[in-house]
Amino acid sequence: MVGLSTGEKLFIQAGIAQDLRTDGRGRLTYRPISIETDVISQANGSARVRMGGTEVIATVKAELGRPNPMQPDKGKVSISVDCSPTAEPAFEGRGGEELSTELSIALERCLLGGKSGSGAGIDLSSLIVVEGKLCWDLYIEGLVVSSEGNLLDALGAAIKAALSNTGIPKVHVAAEALDNEQPEVDVSDEEFLQFDTSGVPAIVTLTKVGKHYIVDATLEEESQMSSAVSISIDRHGHICGLTKRGGVGVDPSIILDMISVGKHVSEELLNKLDSEIVAAEADEEE
Amino acid sequence: MEFVTPEGLRQDGRRPRELREMRAEIGAVSKANGSAVFEMGNTKVLAAVYGPREVQNKSQQMSNQALVRCEYTMANFSTGDRMRKPKGDRRSTEISLVIRQTMEECILTHLMPRSQIDIFVQVLQADGGTRSACINAATLALADAGIPMRDIVTSCSAGYLNSNALLDLNYVEDSAGGPDVTVGFLPKLDKVTLLQMDAKLPIDVFEDVMELAIEGCKAIATYIRNVMLEHTKQLEYHRDG
Amino acid sequence: MLHNKSFVKKTKSGKVMKQVREHYLRDDIYCGASICKKCDSSVARLGASTSPILVLDTNVVLTQIGLLENSAIDDVVMLSVVLDEVKNKNLSVYNRVRALCSNPLRRFFVFSNEHHKDTYIKDMSGESKNDRNDRAIRVAAQWYQNHLGGATRVLLITNDRENRRKAIEEGIGAETIESYVKSLGQTHLLDLLVQSANEDANMEDVEDLRPSKRKVLYSEHKPMSEITSGLHRGIYHQGKLRVNRYNPFEAYVGSESIGDEIIIYGRTNMNRAFDGDVVAVELLSRDQWHEEKSLTIADDEDDEEEDVHLVPGSADDAPRAASVLQGSSGDSSSSSPRPAGRVIGIIKRNWHSYCGSLDPMPMPAGSGGIAYALFVSKDRRIPKIRIQTRQLENLLDKRIIVAVDSWDRLSRYPSGHYVRSIGEIGDRDTESEVVLIENDINSRPFSSQVMTCLPPLPWSVSPVDIANPIRQDLRHLNVFSVDPPGCKDIDDALHCTALSNGNFEVGVHIADVTNFVHPGTALDDEAAQRGTSVYLVERRIDMLPKPLTEDICSLRADVERLAFSVIWEMTPEADIVSTSYTKSIIKSSAALSYVEAQARMDDSRLMDPITRDLRNMNALAKKMRLRRIERGALTLASAEVKFQIDTETHDPLDIGMYQIREANQMVEEFMLAANVSVAEKILKHFPLCSLLRRHPTPTKEMLEPLIRTAVAVGLDLDVSSSKALADSLDRALGDDPYFNKLIRILATRCMTQAVYFYSGDLSPPEYQHYGLAARLYTHFTSPIRRYADVIVHRLLAASLGIFKLPTLFLDRPKLTTIADNLNYRHRNAQMAGRASVELHTLIYFKKRPTDTEARIVKIRSNGFIVFVPKFGIEGPVYLTGKSEKQSGEWFVDEQEQKIKKLDGSITYNILQAVRIHMEVVEPQPNRPKLQLTLL
Repeated sequence: MVGLSTGEKLFIQAGIAQDLRTDGRGRLTYRPISIETDVISQANGSARVRMGGTEVIATVKAELGRPNPMQPDKGKVSISVDCSPTAEPAFEGRGGEELSTELSIALERCLLGGKSGSGAGIDLSSLIVVEGKLCWDLYIEGLVVSSEGNLLDALGAAIKAALSNTGIPKVHVAAEALDNEQPEVDVSDEEFLQFDTSGVPAIVTLTKVGKHYIVDATLEEESQMSSAVSISIDRHGHICGLTKRGGVGVDPSIILDMISVGKHVSEELLNKLDSEIVAAEADEEE
Repeated sequence: MEFVTPEGLRQDGRRPRELREMRAEIGAVSKANGSAVFEMGNTKVLAAVYGPREVQNKSQQMSNQALVRCEYTMANFSTGDRMRKPKGDRRSTEISLVIRQTMEECILTHLMPRSQIDIFVQVLQADGGTRSACINAATLALADAGIPMRDIVTSCSAGYLNSNALLDLNYVEDSAGGPDVTVGFLPKLDKVTLLQMDAKLPIDVFEDVMELAIEGCKAIATYIRNVMLEHTKQLEYHRDG
Repeated sequence: MLHNKSFVKKTKSGKVMKQVREHYLRDDIYCGASICKKCDSSVARLGASTSPILVLDTNVVLTQIGLLENSAIDDVVMLSVVLDEVKNKNLSVYNRVRALCSNPLRRFFVFSNEHHKDTYIKDMSGESKNDRNDRAIRVAAQWYQNHLGGATRVLLITNDRENRRKAIEEGIGAETIESYVKSLGQTHLLDLLVQSANEDANMEDVEDLRPSKRKVLYSEHKPMSEITSGLHRGIYHQGKLRVNRYNPFEAYVGSESIGDEIIIYGRTNMNRAFDGDVVAVELLSRDQWHEEKSLTIADDEDDEEEDVHLVPGSADDAPRAASVLQGSSGDSSSSSPRPAGRVIGIIKRNWHSYCGSLDPMPMPAGSGGIAYALFVSKDRRIPKIRIQTRQLENLLDKRIIVAVDSWDRLSRYPSGHYVRSIGEIGDRDTESEVVLIENDINSRPFSSQVMTCLPPLPWSVSPVDIANPIRQDLRHLNVFSVDPPGCKDIDDALHCTALSNGNFEVGVHIADVTNFVHPGTALDDEAAQRGTSVYLVERRIDMLPKPLTEDICSLRADVERLAFSVIWEMTPEADIVSTSYTKSIIKSSAALSYVEAQARMDDSRLMDPITRDLRNMNALAKKMRLRRIERGALTLASAEVKFQIDTETHDPLDIGMYQIREANQMVEEFMLAANVSVAEKILKHFPLCSLLRRHPTPTKEMLEPLIRTAVAVGLDLDVSSSKALADSLDRALGDDPYFNKLIRILATRCMTQAVYFYSGDLSPPEYQHYGLAARLYTHFTSPIRRYADVIVHRLLAASLGIFKLPTLFLDRPKLTTIADNLNYRHRNAQMAGRASVELHTLIYFKKRPTDTEARIVKIRSNGFIVFVPKFGIEGPVYLTGKSEKQSGEWFVDEQEQKIKKLDGSITYNILQAVRIHMEVVEPQPNRPKLQLTLL
């Protein structure tokens, strides 16, 4: 998609090798991040995140549903991403579907943990209303509005912000229902539960270009990658999920090294995100 | 349903001939040649313009004018119900076509032969009047992209409920089953470029409703001009500073 | 200023959705006080008087609407938050408040506090909706206080103690409605005050007057959340409660969820529900369905005897027959019983005010002028209502109006309050007014706005009308009208000309009412609201003002009038060759009565043009009628009676069955034909918005009583179709000359009435008119007295391209409302007419005890119901005294429809003729009733 000349390619690679990228950043520096919350008032929670020229919107809608019989004590979360053609004319029609699916799956892997729901970055048991019968289902939807590289990290950040912006109505269960019946509930208009988002991880994608790896790659830089590893890491430094993309094989020791670098970067990123989210929420209050 | 109280207030507190609050933001998509977000109340639309650029599909190339294309999409989260919005369904195809025709009419396409201009409109939130909001956003995005135009084109809808002509219907009013007249208007040329209506309306009432919609278009045009002026000043300021 | 409001909405499927609505706050909403210098005073409603400005809370409006309608209460600020709450809780109160607010004579001002930038308040977390709204009311009251400065006192009227306390804390003047009314010093207003429930305690003494102990009589109503959950799970059923008009201890709830009517037996099971309330019902277990039935009759001590009443004209007027007999015989042979249930909660009350009188009682001594009394509604479906009054002596012999306020579990009767009195009981004018009020009939004179819509008088056809190209000049035709004697509102006229080809040109000319009544005018709105003229025995309540009804529209003889004509070319065999419709000008040459027309036809010496035309028409009409009957139209019989009224005193002088002549049938035939032709025409042009009239095919169950009676007298009725029924009715000939008519009368009362509807609401097979065996039918021929015909005139004119349909016809839900209103008005007008006849029957027999022949039409456990053909009434004849009911020596044979003395000495069969004595008795002072006894 990005048409680059050989000279340009070499320039990018050489810049990375010398820790001075084309836009003047070091290898482990993010572009400026800005967050705005509650941009979609119809959703229960929403946020718009800009990372340089990349812009994404994430929304959270909550619906009452039935827990999965295999996991009666957990709510359900689904993540889906759409790529708007405004971000890239090539996404026109069905052009964005492949990327959308790839991003959705990567996000689910990074945030939702295993099939059993264990190890999820989002605490699924806090979504339960009546065990085995009633739970909140969260539908997280992302939209890529402008694409200038590093979509996954931006989407991860937007989801984190949208979740902390999410208010879920308080539910009063009217009467205990019989075994096979759905309980009658009264959904409150006035009281909302705020989500505990301290456990929601941030996603750090390390893109390997040549011998080095960089964070927050731009579109041009991404075109030069040999492989990329996306790590989602929470506040406690626990890895919640991991995806490797790109076809070139990587030595396991390098992966471990990437993880430890990622862990280091994630601390800064989480701090940055938290302070941006707090600022955005304060903005919204005004 | 009572859409206008005897006190003359609509359900959201507007009077019958008032627009919703507007907000516009130019340049939301840095990569695009031009882009804008346009809000009418809770209806929020993003438009991005790519071009004029090389024609992607050579068979569509025209030697005497630019090819204008348009795609309308709704975000999955844009309406109250959480539904997958199919791409290329009849409704979005129709709206894409309407927007394209309206914008094509005011772009000076003969100045850019053998090129292509893509207009992508993305509905972020829908609360009635998405068609109009899309056209208004597209106008701003085209202007931001510096594409030569005859005039700016603005759009507004008006309806007729409880024997009252109402300007700029929101979703609740729009779904009341009354007629909904959408007008596209070239304010400087004083010409109507788009006119659509569903449902029935006696001809004399229709005249009033259309007049009202045109008034709305004019007010939006004034607003859009101010936004563009303000934006240009900002650009100048940044250049000088 | 913009503010987004969001709320959570549950969809039908139980999903929870967040909804967001914009909410604009404004600075151009005015206070409405004329003394205010800051606001635009052109819209001001609140007077400059010294009285305080009142801000009412929702409950005060809901409970005290009657008081608010009294002109002593004025300078009221109606907050939009209050209006919204009222609208949600009780639409009829809302409409009354709205009427007050738009009445230029009253000083009520609507303040849209929810959209005013200074009075809008955000929801606070943890605050309930009610608390929030109370706070909004206080904020608005405070705003008024600050806004008007010291110029006028602002009073918050609320009976909520907590709200009052907070208001006073915040520096707002607040009072209860009671203390405010007391401060006005007008004692008569106090009777209008609705007693709040917590003051019920001091009404115990009235309960003590009765032998029953003060105990819990009714089970508690379930809370709304439990009801919703129960409805959802299918253990409760929702529906509108309909109390049996003839047996107030039996009610029906039509339930969609079980697709059948649930029967509620007895007041205990009805659990304080009123007729028309939307209730939640729980089904009783199957084995209880039968035993509960017996409660129907035995249940309450104040079981009243059935009154003598007019013979029902249709199933809508008739008592539900089924349960009466079965209770006593206890047979289980009658197929599966209908489900029985009990009310467990009330979803929506249908309380309004009722018309009636107080139960006779002695004056209580030394109660400080305040007495408690029991009110008995004229409408038997309504239970007695307890009221508190300071003017008992005054009210005992009066017809009064009472409104219901509450009904707690401990009291047998609901409590209410006195609204106003109408006049003395038994007084004809009072009773006539009662009839009108009971049937919601507006008999007020037409307003000045309506009268200004009339053309200037004297009116006559102008050259402009004659020159109008849409109007055909038919003044040369020999047009005449045939109506009941003394008819002043002549809707229709006829003509019949022999054509050279041997065919006939027959015209039906209908008064061109829509030439004078234009859509959107006050006149049209009023007529639409009234829906129909109402004919009482001694007076007529017009739908249109008198100049239109009796003069301008009326097709009187020898004057030129505007008409809307349907003209056919017919073969001598009465086949329609062609039909045309046109607006016209006619000049009627004679206004005949039925008797006159009949006499002319019968008098072979007369050969004048009118008589000739009459005979031709009659010949055609007979053929049309025959063809209609062959198609399966039912010739049903009614027992209509006619009074001769003293022109001076308006007292009835004579009473007798209405005689139907050939002339009546002739006119009827052409009107039917015109209506059918018009129905076809308008439906062709407006398939979705034509107003039509349908008569549903009676169901098997509805015909059940007829079949049972027929079987008992050995008659085989085929009810499989209207044609089959018509034929078997024709075959029903006994030795008794009156037998056939009797059977027809019984058949008629099994049918429901025909109803108006809009074609868009139903599918074509449902358009059918069963009684007339017509595929399509509408009303076109009486626009002076029926609004439906006015609508149809507009539709017909529009289909001819000479009139533009108003936008209203595009509004489907509105059309349905209009049709519903027409049906409601039509039905009420009939009920009022019947009630008026019943009233006059009573007055007539007061001075004339009579012996006459009667027919047994229904067997009951303690006697039978007889029909008195001569006077068109029916009523109970008791074989046993009331106390020995159920026991005694009489035995009912359900199968044979007989009641026998146990020793076999006497047997009464259904349809048997008996001689009875009719006399008016007064078992209680001022409560006269007609009594039938066996001779």
